[in-house]
Amino acid sequence: MESIKIKKITSVWIITVLVLFVASIVLGILMRLNQGGALNQAPINFYSNMTIHGLTMIGIWFVAGMAGINFLMERYVKTSYKANLTAFILTVIGVVMLWVITLVGKFHVAWTFLYPMPFKIMWAKWATPAFLVAMSILSIGWLIWSISMMTQILKKYSIAQAFAWQHFTKDPSVKTPPFILISMITLVGVITCLFVAVVLMALYFAEFLSKGSFVNDALLMKNLTYFFGHTIANEMLYLGLAVLYELFAEVGGKAKWQTSWYVALAWNFTLIFILTAFFHHLYMDFVQPEGFQIIGQLASYMASLPAAAVTVFSVWVAVYRTKIKWSLTNLLFFIGVAGWVIGGFGAVIDATISNNVVLHNTLWVPAHFHSYNVMGNVLFSLAFFYWFSIQFTEKVVNERLSKLVLSLLIIGGAGFLLAFYLGGADSIPRRYSNYPAEFTSAKPLALVGAAFATVYLIPILILFVTITKRCIKVLFSSR
Amino acid sequence: MHQNSILLLFFFLMGIALIVFTYIFFSSKKADQGMSNPLKKRFWFFLILVFILGIFASVTIPNSPYFAHAGETPAKVVHVAAAQFIFYMSEQAIDPAKPSGHPIELPANEVVEFRVTSLDVNHGFAIYDETGRLITQTQAMPGYVNRLRYKFDQPGKYHVLCLEYCGIAHQIMRTSFTVN
Ligand code: HEM
Ligand SMILES: [Cu+2]
Repeated sequence: MESIKIKKITSVWIITVLVLFVASIVLGILMRLNQGGALNQAPINFYSNMTIHGLTMIGIWFVAGMAGINFLMERYVKTSYKANLTAFILTVIGVVMLWVITLVGKFHVAWTFLYPMPFKIMWAKWATPAFLVAMSILSIGWLIWSISMMTQILKKYSIAQAFAWQHFTKDPSVKTPPFILISMITLVGVITCLFVAVVLMALYFAEFLSKGSFVNDALLMKNLTYFFGHTIANEMLYLGLAVLYELFAEVGGKAKWQTSWYVALAWNFTLIFILTAFFHHLYMDFVQPEGFQIIGQLASYMASLPAAAVTVFSVWVAVYRTKIKWSLTNLLFFIGVAGWVIGGFGAVIDATISNNVVLHNTLWVPAHFHSYNVMGNVLFSLAFFYWFSIQFTEKVVNERLSKLVLSLLIIGGAGFLLAFYLGGADSIPRRYSNYPAEFTSAKPLALVGAAFATVYLIPILILFVTITKRCIKVLFSSR
Repeated sequence: MHQNSILLLFFFLMGIALIVFTYIFFSSKKADQGMSNPLKKRFWFFLILVFILGIFASVTIPNSPYFAHAGETPAKVVHVAAAQFIFYMSEQAIDPAKPSGHPIELPANEVVEFRVTSLDVNHGFAIYDETGRLITQTQAMPGYVNRLRYKFDQPGKYHVLCLEYCGIAHQIMRTSFTVN
């Protein structure tokens, strides 16, 4: 079915993501240790680590989702190997540049690089232009990939079919597979936000090259930055969901899920809400028009509805009193959905303007977004990686090892996240390399977080070894 | 306190989610009575969610800080200019070319207004009470003035911390004022 090339490139993606994941977790643990007072990094090193941790994590889980849907899409349409490879090469170049820029150049603007910080040089002079170039390379590489995938979908399905609009009629003659629908919806969002990233970079370049004659507007830049940043961080979760829709039933030995009018409607709405929810990042900018603020809260609420009512509920119904063949793959999916839901509660609470006043930029923020990454999206992608890796090599699944992996993931993840939530409720600021003395709970919580994150790292290392071993076999096989 | 109820609400919701997920997981070890296509028939579930969130939105949105004390005249206005890595606070307008500030004393139980801007990058202007609890905040953005109105009901010393990452000394950027 799948050609040998797509297997190989997918293996390369998986290995790359896992290597960078382990490295970034280590940076994360170092940050928590420093915040807990167990390490004594210079703030510039802490903030450089923080910047590359954030950038890398967002980048790898985005490409992990893309590589996943690209591989599975071959079941429905032919995808472009060239686009996939181009994206890989540009990603590697961009990521290597970012690591050099932050760790050697000490560029430390946080992953959101809020304007005008990149221009207030507090690092190697070359780092700012290099950063703009690296971000442009990544955006363009990923744009090529996502546009190519969308074009391939549209070669087989009409626009209406790709969005599953025919399901609103009584008897749809053509059925759109849920996987195609969700991929399509997500790709539209991805392309939109990457396009905004390119515009953002162009505005930065314009100011950089104009030598002071052109100055950007801070509020506009912040809106654009979060349009890009928020949207890509959310779309990458939907990429993971597309994979879940495709594989969850299959792995459990059940009939494939099918699109109904209801599913079609929910995902079409998601597309709209997800593009306006980013306004919640500007709640504390009181100069932003109030209408946008309220749209932000409503869109954030509504973005959670279709997801919850369709995806979560479908997973429940698919499992409830149903004899399922449980395996590491679908257990990772199932736990991931739970983590995603819990993180979603944290997000909806924070997306409420009157709560945001006391939560904005406290540890509550990393608490909720780490929830649906560490215990959500990452598990979706790991499920795919694992599923992929056992397709072509020996199918042995050691049940005891799976149990160990899952228990450690849950224990480590829960403790790590809880320390963030409690810190957030204790008003502890996020992005502080060291905590002021008045926050008495801050250091103990940071150490607890570091300890549990280390527990989380163990199963990741186990999966890293088992999955990578198999992927390397795929790389060197000729079938 | 606000943060405590937030945490409680979160734990409550998390508890429900955990119970439901665990229950559903264990039900799959029992007899097979599943539906053939689970992507169907969940309209009622959707409606309940819309209803709950609708109530939540209509109760919370009027409490947004933008509407706080909107119709009143502040008893005092404080100008705030944030810069890497210092806050200037003054009762007079602050000259960006020669910024300076002075100690601030504010009246309790009266509306005060902070006019917050930045002289370089984005900063945060977050007010903490004596116990280290965040009570309100706004952003300091270059080129814009955010107006934050607040009525302090407790006299005492209040701390201001920067809550928008602004660079290498972000974690020590702070000031304070008193309320009598
Ligand atoms: C167990 C693994 C992880 C650990 C130990 C960890 C640790 C941390 C820590 C300590 C921070 C700084 C928190 C602060 O603001 O004070 C942070 C920030 C961040 N993390 Fe993680 N993290 C982990 C996994 C992830 C994952 C899976 C993602 C995926 C998206 C992620 C994305 C981010 C982002 C985007 C930031 C914000 C960076 C910034 O403020 O510029 N992290 N992480
Ligand atoms: Cu700051």
